Amino acid sequence: MLRLFLSLILAVSFFGSFSAKAETELWGDYSGVTLRVKLIGGGQYEGLYNEVIPWWEENTGGKIEIVTQKNHFELDKEIKKDIASGNLDFCVASNHTSFASQYGDIYTDLNNIMPASVLADYTPLILEHSTVNGRLVQMPRHSDVSNLYYQKSLYEDADNKANFKAKYGYDLTPPETWDQVKDQAIFFSNPPDFYGTQYVGKEEAIAGRFYELVIANGGALFDEDYRPIFNSPAGVEALQWFIDLYNAKAVPDGVLNYLWDDTGLGFASGTIAMNLDWAGWAGFFNDPENSKVAGDIGLVRAPMGSGGLRTGWSGSHSFSMTESCPDKEAAASFLWALTSNKAQMIEARGGLSPTRPAIWDAIIAEKKAEGDEFMLMVFETFKMSLAEDAFTPPLIPEWIEFTNALYPELQAAILGDKSPEDALATASKKATEIMEDAGYF
Amino acid sequence: MPTLIILTCVVLLPLLLSLWTSFTPFKLTKPDTLYRFVGFRNYERLIGDLDFWIAFGRTVLFLAIALNLELVFGLGIALLINKITYGQRTLRTLMMFPMMFSPILVGFQWKYIFNDNIGLMNNFLREFGVIQPIPWLVDGILANVSIMAAEIWSSTSVFAILLLAGLLGIPKDPIEAAKVDGCNSWQVFKNITLPFLMPFVFIAMTIRSLDVARAYDIVQMMTGGGPAKRTELLWTLISRTGYVDAKMGMANAMSYISIFLSIAFTFFFFYKLVEARQRLSYE
Repeated sequence: MLRLFLSLILAVSFFGSFSAKAETELWGDYSGVTLRVKLIGGGQYEGLYNEVIPWWEENTGGKIEIVTQKNHFELDKEIKKDIASGNLDFCVASNHTSFASQYGDIYTDLNNIMPASVLADYTPLILEHSTVNGRLVQMPRHSDVSNLYYQKSLYEDADNKANFKAKYGYDLTPPETWDQVKDQAIFFSNPPDFYGTQYVGKEEAIAGRFYELVIANGGALFDEDYRPIFNSPAGVEALQWFIDLYNAKAVPDGVLNYLWDDTGLGFASGTIAMNLDWAGWAGFFNDPENSKVAGDIGLVRAPMGSGGLRTGWSGSHSFSMTESCPDKEAAASFLWALTSNKAQMIEARGGLSPTRPAIWDAIIAEKKAEGDEFMLMVFETFKMSLAEDAFTPPLIPEWIEFTNALYPELQAAILGDKSPEDALATASKKATEIMEDAGYF
Repeated sequence: MPTLIILTCVVLLPLLLSLWTSFTPFKLTKPDTLYRFVGFRNYERLIGDLDFWIAFGRTVLFLAIALNLELVFGLGIALLINKITYGQRTLRTLMMFPMMFSPILVGFQWKYIFNDNIGLMNNFLREFGVIQPIPWLVDGILANVSIMAAEIWSSTSVFAILLLAGLLGIPKDPIEAAKVDGCNSWQVFKNITLPFLMPFVFIAMTIRSLDVARAYDIVQMMTGGGPAKRTELLWTLISRTGYVDAKMGMANAMSYISIFLSIAFTFFFFYKLVEARQRLSYE
C-alpha cells in the first residue's frame, strides 16, 4: 500500500490574468528523490517542461532527470527496446492514447494512485480513452483532433464566387462535406504554384486520415471481432477521394512523402487553399513571422462524409508512470503537475486543446478579454469538435502494425499501381493475418 | 584464450541469440515470446512473401549500381587529384567533406534538394523552362535514382581516398618506361596503372559492401521505403518490422536471409582481390 500523499488540498490556482476553477493539488515533500523521465521532444512540447519542471522541483524538493527527449516515434522504439531488455529504469514517460495499448502492463494503473478528486478535474471521456483493459495508464496532457483551416480571401473574392457557382452549381462557402472539399480543391488549384489542398501521405498519418473518412462515410475498419471490414463501399469511396485529388493535381505531387510538418509548413507558405490540421498549428499559421497567410485564415469544423458524420480522428498526448518506479508518490505528484491547470494553461496559450474542462473556460475567457478573435474562433471550434465529432482509433496493441500494413496499399492505389478494390483487398488480407496472429479470432 | 572469451561474448553470443529469435515469434513488447519455439515458420512465411523478395532484389540492384558508380567516380576523382602538383593536400581534405556528414543529415539535405515543391532541383530546372515540377521522390525510377545520388555523393570519397592511396604507391619506373616505348595515356592506364590498382579496388569494394547498410538512414529520411514500397530496401523493411511493428523474430529471420547477400558480395570481392594480387605478382 502506498503511503498517503502528504499534501492533498483543494486550492484555487491563479495564473495569468484569469483563474480556472478550483483544482485538487498534489504536492508533497520529495527531498532527496530524483525521478528519471523520458519525454517527447520538439518545439511545441518542450516549453511545458521548461516551466513545470522547475515549478515542481521548487515546491517538492525533488529532482527531475530527463533521460531521453526525442520525437514520439523514436521514443516509441526506445521504450519497446526497454521492454525487451527489461530495462525499465525510469519513472515517467510521455505516452499517447494511440500507442499506450502496445506497452502491455509496464505502466501503473493510475486509478489506484491518483485520488478520485484529482481525476475529477479531467474530461471523463478523455480518461476513458486513456484506459487500457480497465487500467488508467496515462494522464492526458492535451487532446488532438483536426479541423479545416482555409484562406478566407479566396472565399471572399467575387470572381471566385461567380466562377465556382457557374461550374459547380452551388455557392462557394467553406465546405461542409468532403465532396465539397474535393470540388473546391480542384477549383482553386493552379499547379505548380497553388494547390487546393494536401494530405499527409505516409505511415500512420495517412492510415489515420483514411480511417476517419471511412467512419465519416458510414463504414468501419473492423467488426466487433476485429475482422477487417474496410474493403467496403465506404472504404473504396474514402480511398477514391484521395485518388481523385491526386489525379486532378489538386494536391502537390510529392504529397505521398508528406508528414505533419510538411502540411503545416505548406499551408503557412500560402500555396494551399484548405488544410485539415491539428489545433497546435493555429498560432503558427497566424503568426506573420512564420506564415504568409497570417490574418487571412478561416476555420470550420472538419467536414462530413457521405454517412453524414464528420471526420474526427482523435487522440491525446499523455504521461505514464512505470510499474517499476520506486517513488510512485513523487511520480504521481509530477504527473499531476505536468497536466495541472497551470500546465494546461501554458499549452492552451500556444493553441493546444486542454483535457480539463476548467481550462477550456479559462482560455476562452482570456481570449475574449484580449479581443483575440482568431484564437477565440480556434478554441470554440476545437472545443465543439472534441465534444461532438472526436473518436479514437481502435485502442488495440496492433494499431501501429496494422497502419504499416495498410498505408503502402493506400499509396499504391493513389499512384495508380492498383485499383482501390485491389489495394484494400490486399490490405485486408494482411490485416487479417495480423489480427489472427494476435489471437483475436 | 582471453581473445576467444571476448569474441564469444561480443560476437558469437549476440549472433546465436538473434539466430534463436528468428525461430520464435519474439515481439519486443512481449518478452515472453522469446521462449516460444516455432521452428521455421518465420522463414516459411518469408519464402512466400513477395514484398520481401522484391525488396531483396531491389537491394541487390541498388548495391550493384551504387557501388560500381562510386568506383567509377572515385577512380576519376583520384586520377584527377593525382595529376595535380599544387594544392593536392587541400583538395584531398575537401574531397573528404561528404564523409563528415552523418547519413541522417545527408538524407535531410537530399530530401530538400529533391522536394517536388520547394526543392532546389525543381527550382533550378524551372529556370530552364521546366514548368511542371518533377516528382523526384514519388516516381519509381526517379526516387531510386535520387536516393542513389545521395548515397553516391556521400560515399564516393571513400573510394577516391583508397584509390588515391593506391595511385600514390604505384612505382614510376614502369610508367616512364612505357611512355619511352611510345605507349599513349590510355595504354599506360590500361596496362600498368589499372592492374596495380586492382587490389585497392577490391579492398574498397569489400569495405564498402560491408558498410553500405549505413545508407539506411539516407533512405529512411528521403522516402522511408515508399511511396507504395517503390524504394523499399531490406534495411527499411527490416527496421520497420523489428522496431516499429516490434516483430523482432521475423526481422531477424529477414536479416539472416539477407546476411547471405553480404557474404556473397564479400566472398566475391575477396576472391577478385586474391586473383588481382596473384596476377600482379606474376606480371
